[in-house]
Amino acid sequence: MLKHTLQRLLLVLPVMLGVLLIGFLLMQVVPTDPAQVRAGPTATQDVVEAIRQELGLNQPLWKQFAIYIGRLAQGDLGVSIINNVPVTQELGNTIGPTLELMFASLIWAIPLGMALGTVGAYYRGSLIDRAIMAFSVAGVSLPVFFLGLGLIWLFGFYYPILPFTGRTGPLWTWEGIQGVILPAITLGGVFVGPVARMTRTSVLDELGADHVRTARAKGLGESTVVLRHTLRNALVPVVTLIGLQIGFLLGGAVVTETVFSWPGIGRLAVGAILSSDLPMAQGTIIMLSLGFILVNLAVDVLYAVLDPRVRGT
Amino acid sequence: MSSSVKLERNALQPGAKTVEAAVSVAAATPVRRKTVLRMLTSDIGSCIALALVVLAILGAVLAPWLAPTDPFGNDLANTLKPPGEMGLLGTDGQGRDMITRLLYGLRTTLLMGSASVAFGCAIGGIIGFAAAYYPKLSGVLMRFMDVLLSFPAILFGLAIAAIFGPGLLAVIIALSIATVPLMARVVRGSALVVLQQGYIEAARSLGLSDLRIILRYVLPNCLSAIFVFVTLRFGQVILLGAALSFLGLGAQPPTAELGAMAADGRNFLFFAPHVSVLPSLVIFAVVLAFNVLGDSLRDALDPKLRK
Repeated sequence: MLKHTLQRLLLVLPVMLGVLLIGFLLMQVVPTDPAQVRAGPTATQDVVEAIRQELGLNQPLWKQFAIYIGRLAQGDLGVSIINNVPVTQELGNTIGPTLELMFASLIWAIPLGMALGTVGAYYRGSLIDRAIMAFSVAGVSLPVFFLGLGLIWLFGFYYPILPFTGRTGPLWTWEGIQGVILPAITLGGVFVGPVARMTRTSVLDELGADHVRTARAKGLGESTVVLRHTLRNALVPVVTLIGLQIGFLLGGAVVTETVFSWPGIGRLAVGAILSSDLPMAQGTIIMLSLGFILVNLAVDVLYAVLDPRVRGT
Repeated sequence: MSSSVKLERNALQPGAKTVEAAVSVAAATPVRRKTVLRMLTSDIGSCIALALVVLAILGAVLAPWLAPTDPFGNDLANTLKPPGEMGLLGTDGQGRDMITRLLYGLRTTLLMGSASVAFGCAIGGIIGFAAAYYPKLSGVLMRFMDVLLSFPAILFGLAIAAIFGPGLLAVIIALSIATVPLMARVVRGSALVVLQQGYIEAARSLGLSDLRIILRYVLPNCLSAIFVFVTLRFGQVILLGAALSFLGLGAQPPTAELGAMAADGRNFLFFAPHVSVLPSLVIFAVVLAFNVLGDSLRDALDPKLRK
């Protein structure tokens, strides 16, 4: 177990270094001189030179990279070109709302998807199964922004009952819950289909297994067979597959945040890229990449915890 | 039999994505075209999907001849006309005919999708065959593919747009990169099965070159798996590309692109919803058609489901 985890950890380190290197090189291709930018347009040559010395800009590239890593480790990702706010501060402000949105989406989408998938697998080939699968295919084909704009039109304009711009408050207040409903339906809506599909496949495999036949032969009730003997085993691969689909969720989150003006990290990243705010763009991309590597690592380890067969390899 | 079991187990390993799991089933099974065609046409859903795909491709290719007006011709006296009032489907925020914009938008979107899938599959295919044929290379190549696979496509989109600036090219590069590892896994999976067949050994004993064996004997027997993957991937790539364009990272105005058009319509959502809804509907229909078609193809090519 520990060996498996350590092995994974060792494999992750070069990838992280690669991400940081790409992030670092991203800043190198920019034609503007960072020392000049920091000094301001009226600074004398001496001041610019002093800042260049201070930032280590006349060191060889590999030394600069080392300095860059060192600054990164201290949480210094530079300052936004647009409004002079430290990148780390903006990241800290936006990561919360993004996690909040993801949480509010998954809390209903995963249970619903699992329920639909289980029902579909149990009544395999029936009309219900076909309807659920059709719904699932439609769900993965639906553009996220279409669902979002449709909901805004329906519940923000036609029946104006829910707010649809920005975060209206923390999740534990009534205003906050109201504000998160439409974005959460949008983001969760595209996730139900894949979860239903994965659960169905997994439950189908499990329903044909020997131990399920044994459970039936023992004369156990159908609900016990399905819930206790099938679903529990079937959920192991589903849990890890969901972990791997977090990337899919992030793609949806970036679009959802833009549609609903949700103050999250995805919207921050897009805004930074569109306004050529390179330090901010670089910071968000590095942050998201590192987040991903960690999520994948966690899923890998979780998989080994849940399925003992993987540990040996 | 044992190989297919192995493939299925592999599909549940961390790092495997749903498309790959779907495709691995159809791996390396030579099928008569007639059977596939009969199975496809026996199902109404796949018939409609096939018709939609053909229609979309025709519309995109023939856009310059089909479009009633100039795609960039503003008509500021007739902006935001609802469908039926001005042209069949109304006009957008700058008075441009919606039918024309939709046809050209579809053209851009499909072009973006085919370019990404073509580049991604070409590179991914080469890597996949190399990894299957040369076991020594396999470890390094597939480990690298795993790394690529661990990042979501949207992140490539953001990073490439940050480096090269927003635009169609950035989207194509990003989606190609995101396609490479998926294709490499599909190709490697089915090529490994093919390589165990007797005729490969026969070809080797004849002293044929590696390239010749791969091109003449391995590739043709992997085509069904590749075909299913490409169909399903095309739908996903269009959806991703449209989303990136919606965010403003893809096609730039005045280029007509379905995702960008939907974003443009946001400003008039409450009084001229058709500007956003129509391009979104077209994307939905095309992606749905590709997904349904890909699913039916996979079922038709799956030896376990075929009688």
